[in-house]
Amino acid sequence: MAKGHRKFLDILGRRPLILDGATGTELQKRGMPAGVCPEMWCIDNPGVIAGVHGDYARAGSDVVYTCTFGANRVKLGQYGQADARSVNRQLARIAKEAVKDRALVAGDIGPTGRFIRPFGELDFEEAVSIFKEQVHGLLAGGVDGFVIETMMDIQEARAALIAVKETCSLFTMVTMTFERDGRTLNGTDPLTALVTLQALGADAVGCNCSTGPDDMARFISAMRPCAKVPLIAKPNAGLPRSSGGATVYDMDAAEFARPAGALVGAGAAILGGCCGTTPGHLAALRKTVSRRKAPAPLRKSLAALSSARRTLVFEPGRPLVLIGEGINPTGRKALQEELREGKTALARQMARDQETAGADLLDVNVGVPGIDQEKTMQEVVLTLAAATPLPLVIDSAKAEPIERALRVYPGRALINSISGEREKLKRLLPVAAKYGAMFILLPLTDGGIPETAEKRAAVVRTILREARRHGFTRDDILVDGIVMTAASNPDAPRETLRTVRWAAETLGARTVVGLSNVSFGLPERKWINAAFLAMASASGLTAAIANPAGEENLFVRKAADVLGGRDRDAAGWIALCAKTRDPARRAPAETLPPPRRLREAILEGNREAVGGLIAECLKAGADAAALAREIMIPAVVEVGERFGRKEYFLPQLIASGETMKLGMEALEPFLQESSREAAGRGTILIATVKGDIHDIGKNIVALMLRNHGFRVVDLGRDVAAERIVREIERHRPRVVGLSALMTTTMTRMEEVIDLARRQGQQCPFIVGGAVVTRTYADSIGAEYARDGVEAVQVIQRIIGPAK
Amino acid sequence: MDKLFTFERITIEPPLRAICRRLGYREGLTQLRPDEARTLGDRIEQARALVTLKGTARRLPILSKAPGRIRLPGERCLESAQLASLLADSQEVLLLGATAGPDVIEAIRRDAAEDNLARAVVFDAAASEMVDAALDWMETFFSRELRREGRRLTKSRFSCGYGDLALENQRLFYELLQLGRFGVELTGEFILVPEKSVTAVAGIEPAG
Repeated sequence: MAKGHRKFLDILGRRPLILDGATGTELQKRGMPAGVCPEMWCIDNPGVIAGVHGDYARAGSDVVYTCTFGANRVKLGQYGQADARSVNRQLARIAKEAVKDRALVAGDIGPTGRFIRPFGELDFEEAVSIFKEQVHGLLAGGVDGFVIETMMDIQEARAALIAVKETCSLFTMVTMTFERDGRTLNGTDPLTALVTLQALGADAVGCNCSTGPDDMARFISAMRPCAKVPLIAKPNAGLPRSSGGATVYDMDAAEFARPAGALVGAGAAILGGCCGTTPGHLAALRKTVSRRKAPAPLRKSLAALSSARRTLVFEPGRPLVLIGEGINPTGRKALQEELREGKTALARQMARDQETAGADLLDVNVGVPGIDQEKTMQEVVLTLAAATPLPLVIDSAKAEPIERALRVYPGRALINSISGEREKLKRLLPVAAKYGAMFILLPLTDGGIPETAEKRAAVVRTILREARRHGFTRDDILVDGIVMTAASNPDAPRETLRTVRWAAETLGARTVVGLSNVSFGLPERKWINAAFLAMASASGLTAAIANPAGEENLFVRKAADVLGGRDRDAAGWIALCAKTRDPARRAPAETLPPPRRLREAILEGNREAVGGLIAECLKAGADAAALAREIMIPAVVEVGERFGRKEYFLPQLIASGETMKLGMEALEPFLQESSREAAGRGTILIATVKGDIHDIGKNIVALMLRNHGFRVVDLGRDVAAERIVREIERHRPRVVGLSALMTTTMTRMEEVIDLARRQGQQCPFIVGGAVVTRTYADSIGAEYARDGVEAVQVIQRIIGPAK
Repeated sequence: MDKLFTFERITIEPPLRAICRRLGYREGLTQLRPDEARTLGDRIEQARALVTLKGTARRLPILSKAPGRIRLPGERCLESAQLASLLADSQEVLLLGATAGPDVIEAIRRDAAEDNLARAVVFDAAASEMVDAALDWMETFFSRELRREGRRLTKSRFSCGYGDLALENQRLFYELLQLGRFGVELTGEFILVPEKSVTAVAGIEPAG
């Protein structure tokens, strides 16, 4: 047991540990004015904060928090106070003296109010240094443990935890604040927070603030199955609401304590109160749970990885995990160039592509000769941490880039890899242990790669024995089967498979292979890879490092899950098949006659089918002009009517419009000249006015008009009045449409109309756009339409019925 | 308290209901086939990948209030009767700015030019709602900070170009929020470029 933990764990061995309640609202009640620095006010009024601490201890709190929530140099600096260490020391001493031996004192560390890279601009090491200053002050004041609380950003919680762990070994609790949707403001869910923080060395993890006790039970339940450490629940006295200009919390002491039993039932071993709670609330809470046993953690070890927003648990029966191999400069010149230039855009794009293709984890390797790999790895890891929810696999032949990545990565990463090479083992095991990473165990030694599965198994056992000394278990590793090239050694694939089977069945560990090596030097490599993947899966493989975009890998992997009993009810397989079947290529019912199917295609926005259907209609003897007049235009009118009745929304209106446009283009060569003229409704000239760059609404109007037989001259966006008037003279349009989105550009519409009138142009104008109103249109002598469908109707009314 | 807060990466889920509403979807009226719903979902996911939300915020004391006029440090003024009414109990203002970045705008333009307007409108709606949600996100962040100070934000916020707060004020917001650091530009017509960029102001008032 680590030094200083016994006092906390002794209580947890008997019953739930009780924390204190709200400090801020208590101080306000006892005279602290709004807007002051609470920490400095407490130093000036030590009796008041001592009274709060004492009242909580007397109410039954086993632990009180120092009033140092905002005592970091960033927040204190906002009030002109620079000496964070001194402030923390003084406030810790006040708390210790106030509670004497009645309660333990936890040094309270709150957020800085700034976000840390990759989510904000604060450098990670600067954040660690800010928190270390606080930790040193609190230790000097004699605290018994630490609490890092109300964290919204997992990266900030990590920085604070590292600051504590690098300074002392006292019991350290970490609580995050989750919104009602079950995520922190920065998108971290309770399970992910737990996996990341307990791996990094938190002695208890949980949640505080944000919600009342009922909602918090959900968060605790989500953490419970994967918790290696006690769980903490410190809810508000209900949700805050405004009443008569004041923020109030609805739950009185009895109401607050009532759900506490359910919180313990959900798995909370450490309980307290946050905003709105009082010593009375805590007394009631203590009374409610004092006869209960504190729930013990369900796990001693956990095979799980996390990013800032997602967790992957390697549970038995889980589908095969695919590790995307793309972010590796070997053989990828473009990536090499990017990394050399210090850019990360391509790596980000590759991450997105692999995520879309179905990768579960992303391997990250920046091994370009001649670059600062430590710095590059940090930049790429920070970029990817913000860009993708997939947990990362840190891949390097050197120890320094791995260590740097693990320090700044806001999740629990997988190291690729740690081998039995003496120096590497000695250097990397302590690093992996410090940051709580999982690692791929590569069974090779300074003497090279053992040829047989038996020899590899012996190396695995040696490395694992060494790793256990650092606290690792077999749950923390994936054994690499070591894939060698089949072309050069026909026995190699078999030995790999035997290693995988031994590790999975005899050792009971997870396994991994780097797939593509097996096919090196052979033609049509993808089939060899896919076959090997299926064989390895049958041997008990957990994860494969491969190209997720390869269709054969995707299907073989999912099929192997079905056949290996790892895809219950074949749900994953069915979902994959449904996804890959392109819904847009549905052909309308074959039984209908072609003109009906053409109408249906337009109504459904089936772009792919429309050309073929027109060809079919024409082949069957239909007249092109009649098809347009009697089938297609009525269909597109029907679409407009459905849009007007809200049965269709904008994407459907436009999909139909684009289908109609394609249909008209297909029909065009077959229309007689006379039909073309008859169908033509005249020219409409449209533009977005000078200074305005928004044009999506205008583009929709253009599409609608074209589909109703108008010739549209679209001048684009940001078009000067002089040019619009020149184009009016040139094209002689029947109507001119003007669009603007902003109040500052809307006035340009009037300028255009004035200029046109001054130059003798009498054509009608129609205007529209977000800020344009009918009243404004009237005031400048123009017609008005609120959307594309209405624009067509208004223009048809202006120019009269079609010939 | 006058300092710039920078949010390099705001991570939010696309607000699906708001995006659908913006696209004209009406519960109980609009009829969506399963394949259309799937396509919509895929396009919103594509938009999510193209949107990179960044934001800045600035707390500034209100030096004086006259009817229709809010005076801020540095001889800056906001003239708007409606804003002054919103800020009646406020001692400070919180200026907020957010951008969805250039990638989604490029994708919208490309789609519009390549006859894929149906996808462009979904990208457009998703980006608009996501950048608005980024302002909500920042407000939630500051609300938490303010609660501990015994303060709170006003119930609503105001943007330039709405009500009687002229769009010309965008220059003041743009400069104070240093939106240029994210590559956002302000045109002569006070339009933020890339277009899916927004600014707003809310008041900070005592909670009690």
